[in-house]
Amino acid sequence: MRRYFLLAASLALLLALLFVAWYEKLHPKPVPLTPTLTGQVEYCLTCHSDLAQISNSHPVQTFGCVLCHSGEPLALDANLAHSTMRGGSNPSDFSVVQASCGSDKCHSGTPESYSNHIQRATTSIQATYAGAIANIMFTFGVQPDLTARLGIFSVQVPGSTSGITALAAFDPAQETNPYVKAFGQNCLTCHLSAQPMPGSVYFRFTGCAACHTPTQSADRTSTQQLQSSQIHKLTTSISYTQCDTCHNRGNYDLRSITFTPRQDLPIDRLHDYYQPIAQFTSCEWMLDCVDCHTRTEAMGDGNLYSSKLDIQYIQCKTCHGTLTELPQTRPLTDPNDLAFRLALINPVVDLKLGDTILVTGKNEPLWNTCVLPDGIYQLVGKATGEVFPFKPVMGSACTQNGTDQTSAYCHTCHSVTR
Amino acid sequence: MNKNPEITRRDFLKLASKAVLTAAGLLGLGGLFRFLDTQTEPSPQTDFDLGLPAKYPLGSRTVLADVPALLVHSLGGFSALSLVCTHLGCTVESQVDGFACPCHGSRFDLKGNVSRGPAGKPLNSLKTAITSDGNLHLYTS
Repeated sequence: MRRYFLLAASLALLLALLFVAWYEKLHPKPVPLTPTLTGQVEYCLTCHSDLAQISNSHPVQTFGCVLCHSGEPLALDANLAHSTMRGGSNPSDFSVVQASCGSDKCHSGTPESYSNHIQRATTSIQATYAGAIANIMFTFGVQPDLTARLGIFSVQVPGSTSGITALAAFDPAQETNPYVKAFGQNCLTCHLSAQPMPGSVYFRFTGCAACHTPTQSADRTSTQQLQSSQIHKLTTSISYTQCDTCHNRGNYDLRSITFTPRQDLPIDRLHDYYQPIAQFTSCEWMLDCVDCHTRTEAMGDGNLYSSKLDIQYIQCKTCHGTLTELPQTRPLTDPNDLAFRLALINPVVDLKLGDTILVTGKNEPLWNTCVLPDGIYQLVGKATGEVFPFKPVMGSACTQNGTDQTSAYCHTCHSVTR
Repeated sequence: MNKNPEITRRDFLKLASKAVLTAAGLLGLGGLFRFLDTQTEPSPQTDFDLGLPAKYPLGSRTVLADVPALLVHSLGGFSALSLVCTHLGCTVESQVDGFACPCHGSRFDLKGNVSRGPAGKPLNSLKTAITSDGNLHLYTS
């Protein structure tokens, strides 16, 4: 009996060791990477070596994966490796963005170094949604004016130059007004922390990636459907289709306090760009949104505002001037001019010292424009690379009143028929 | 005397137990050696043997991609400049008039001084020496 027991125990031991050896074989051989910035080895490339580099500004050899995504750098088991990732697959979600993209050398630096992106983005009207909330509160008599008091999350900007230094968190559950409550339930799908509505045309990430990670093809005729796990890209080359995951997809109905999606599903740019009722000029649909709207308009300037109208300031005259004034320009004489840095990140133009570019009324560089030797201007599409020559109003047959720069005024003569 | 001895059940069990135990022991020992032999990830290399100095003629500027560094042989001897950008650590590219960082656009002149931000410090100078074996060595720390 003892002999049988010994044999059975030996067999059990051998089988256990064979199982351990087999289980070990299941795990891949780790592929180490020691990023320059961290100096700490990580094994993420063992499984993710086929993932495209996220951008030229974030090379994997320098940044690695863990600096942005967190996670367990030495784990070879997928569940364990991913268990402590920040923001799931999206470390730019505003709930974790400071830990992921922050630090004074990265995106939470100073305005002077043009690296206060997180402070600007999280106080922007697209993040706080303060304008929409203030409008609803005012419309339904909950507050006496249109000044923003609430945002999607509470935020403070002690030195805000806009007059608004803090927003409290908007909590629909605490609201007693039924319309405001309904607004909270039905209409909070398009701020930068909101999960998008179901449907491929609304598909986007949250946080910085809502705009900077392309989830939409630039061409609606493309049948390619992107899966979130396949998208590993950050870009400033942003197509209008990305902006349209929130904009121009429908209307908010104040009677029913619901969002009504647009019903037409055009695939050509002219019909798709704006809703059927919209009026617009050629450049408004041939260019992409980011060709005109500056980084400050889209991402804010670090102050809190009550309406997008308080931060948007680009007008037709910014590029075209008026009958009596040419558009503002700036020769590039400083090698540290912001225009060079922006052009490097999205190299659709090759800016050189001595080039002259257009600038906005706030002296923001329109770095994708230039003044050509014959006095006309040129804009290169940031998302398309397409070249658009254009002329100033001065010297043209235009009979405008230069002080009226509302879009409706210019649309009177220049709107496109579709 | 039995000329054709048949193995008894007892002997078979003994032999089988020994064989299985030996196999398990060897497997266990293999695992133990593997465990003891496990290497932690090696520290980054800091001493680079560049071979004979004659490989780098007077006046040459040689990009050493695996360091990464630029080795310069001038009348004053050998000198080397790190090609790691002082902003965030990307590898800068050697150009006719200096160095350019492809990540965030910093520019450095031929001596490694900053000519355009966001980098705030010049490229690091690296130590070189000809050792007793006659080879040129470059040290990154």
